[in-house]
Amino acid sequence: MNPPAPQPPSSVPQPPVAPAPAKPAVALAPKPAAPAQPPLPPAPPPPNPLAHLPLPFRGVDYKAKGYHCEAAVSPDQVVAAAELLDNEGLSLDTITGVDWMAEGQMEVVYDYFHPAKALRVVVRTRIPRDNPEIPTIHKVFPGANWHERETHDFFGVRFLGHPNLTPFLLPEDATYHPLRKDFTAC
Amino acid sequence: MLVKDAIVSNGTPNETFTLNLGPQHPATHGVLRVKMTMDGEYIVRAEPVCGYIHRMQEKMGENRTYAQFLPNTSRIDYLSAMTYTHGFVGAVERALKLQVPPRAEYMRVITSELNRISSHLVWWGAFLLDLGGFTPLLYAFDDREKILDLLEGITGSRLTYSYFRIGGLYNDVDDQFLKGTREFVTQMRPRLKMYRSLVTDNIILRKRLIDIGPVSPEMCRKYGATGPVIRGSGVPYDVRRVEPYSVYSEFDFVIPTFPETDSMARYLVRMEEMAQSLRIIEQALDKLPAGPVMAEKVPRVLKLPAGDYCYATEAARGRFAVRIVSDGKEIPYRVKLRTPSLSNLSLFEEASAGMLLPDALALMGSLDLVIPDIDR
Amino acid sequence: METPESNAQLLSDCAPYVKFAKLDEMLALGRANSLWPLTFGLACCAIEMMAAGASRFDISRFGAEVFRPSPRQADLMIVAGTVNKKMAAAVKTLYDQMPEPKWVIAMGNCAISGGPFVFPGQYAVVEGVDKLFPVDVFIPGCPPRPEALIEGLLKLEEKLTGKRRWPTVKPE
Repeated sequence: MNPPAPQPPSSVPQPPVAPAPAKPAVALAPKPAAPAQPPLPPAPPPPNPLAHLPLPFRGVDYKAKGYHCEAAVSPDQVVAAAELLDNEGLSLDTITGVDWMAEGQMEVVYDYFHPAKALRVVVRTRIPRDNPEIPTIHKVFPGANWHERETHDFFGVRFLGHPNLTPFLLPEDATYHPLRKDFTAC
Repeated sequence: MLVKDAIVSNGTPNETFTLNLGPQHPATHGVLRVKMTMDGEYIVRAEPVCGYIHRMQEKMGENRTYAQFLPNTSRIDYLSAMTYTHGFVGAVERALKLQVPPRAEYMRVITSELNRISSHLVWWGAFLLDLGGFTPLLYAFDDREKILDLLEGITGSRLTYSYFRIGGLYNDVDDQFLKGTREFVTQMRPRLKMYRSLVTDNIILRKRLIDIGPVSPEMCRKYGATGPVIRGSGVPYDVRRVEPYSVYSEFDFVIPTFPETDSMARYLVRMEEMAQSLRIIEQALDKLPAGPVMAEKVPRVLKLPAGDYCYATEAARGRFAVRIVSDGKEIPYRVKLRTPSLSNLSLFEEASAGMLLPDALALMGSLDLVIPDIDR
Repeated sequence: METPESNAQLLSDCAPYVKFAKLDEMLALGRANSLWPLTFGLACCAIEMMAAGASRFDISRFGAEVFRPSPRQADLMIVAGTVNKKMAAAVKTLYDQMPEPKWVIAMGNCAISGGPFVFPGQYAVVEGVDKLFPVDVFIPGCPPRPEALIEGLLKLEEKLTGKRRWPTVKPE
């Protein structure tokens, strides 16, 4: 900040200005604190409708994310998770692959929905990127057959036990996996 | 029923031949190839082969910004384009916590329902063309042209509208659209009655569809089939009722459900859905509030916080869901499109085993497939 | 007995009733007014092609409503939609199966140049159907209106006969 410009001497004589009173040397008394408000209670965690299942499900804020419940499991637990959700009456929505190249992992996300009530469940798992293998769930949900073929097409994930892991959307002789992050056009 | 019991063999066992249906065939569903192993006129195994119209939509999601990806969403299922754009735009708005103004929400519902009617009309005409009747196609396209005129007046496009924007709509509607939509609703109701007496009550159609292609509700659940397929099997699952989005919870409409599980049930579900869509449009026009059609403070450069976000809508064919995985940049990390036709077709192999070929085509038509919806 | 004068008299008497033309022009007129398209809708443009065949736009006025499912019976292939690398072999087979004389209309941006699906790193789309076989008329649009398809048909007729059947609409 520039110091204020010096004022030109005025022609009108001005009465002497009393010096400003010095600030008291005593420390000012602290201001009385505002009436103490109780700290806001933390927002209640979203309800977990699948708390009775023996897998680490937790409730998710539907309005923020679009699903009600999710669990992160290890790759060998996906079939058990599918069976549990099948018993609960859910249906398989889709299987998504995500290539986290920087972390050297691939994520396989299973989406399930319930055909009678508002319940969307997400089961995620991570597999190593240089050897992406995971057991198939097509015996529990036959609809997974095509979703797993598509995930294999795009990412190269091998679903152990799949009856027909041939290209589904790519040409029959395709050997490339286009949605990997290190894919360059052929 | 075991397949081998259903096959009528003329004495020589294991004499089957392979018949290739498509990828170019007159049933105008698109480019689908079905490799059929046939025993005479009976299907032993029908294996759909997809990928002939794979247009890399999910890969393009990783190469386009959120706003640049909007036209792609219309082209996934071009007959029901509004609901697909709604799914994508809703996911982005959910992630950014944008508040869409009420007028825009009501307009989204009106245009989506008009689109649903036009999609069902194309399905109806093409399905009857498959079954051998040419006339209903012309009637259906005539009615559809009226809807397309209305939507062209506000969006500028006849088929692949990109009318929704992230935060609202492209532009507001004028009185011509509102008046025209009311007139359309008034003149469409007698047309639906005429379709009923011309086609639905027709003895030939009834013989072709009743008890053909039963799909049990358990099969639907195992394959993830949604939309009229699961509603024609007795399960009243509709995303607009189970996971209400936009302003659908404010309308009074019935979810048509028929328990017979055959192709006729799926046919009747769609015919009734057209009538219910007219009801929704009327109520939305009555309740349409005034106000802006675009949210305030939509950021110029859209960057979603890291994480994944989902949104589901009820398209004409079933449940359409979008999952966006973001890493904080302005280009999505992964866009996953869950399309209804893929799940609906995946049960075709099991459901068509042992059927006569014309009956299997009636079943496939009643599943209402759009092949770019499968291949994306 | 025939004389040049009596022949000339005969010709002028017949003139209101009999026309003479070259065989080529006759055949071209016949072919142009009865183009039989192959039902080859691939994607979104197929719906606009169906709309052009329906009552409002009615390509039957131009003789082209007889869509033939079999390529052996068609002489016009309207490629309406995106051609994939997986589909390219089938498209070429269909083109080869059509008997001569045959024509091709590329309808829509995808058939012209790959359309909106071309981006750096694309792996599945053939960038334009003219990479597979020669195309006579290109109709741009995404999708083009049915009127644009009719204009493309009129252009093809003009290519065949040398004359345009409908006057060109001049925008005001």
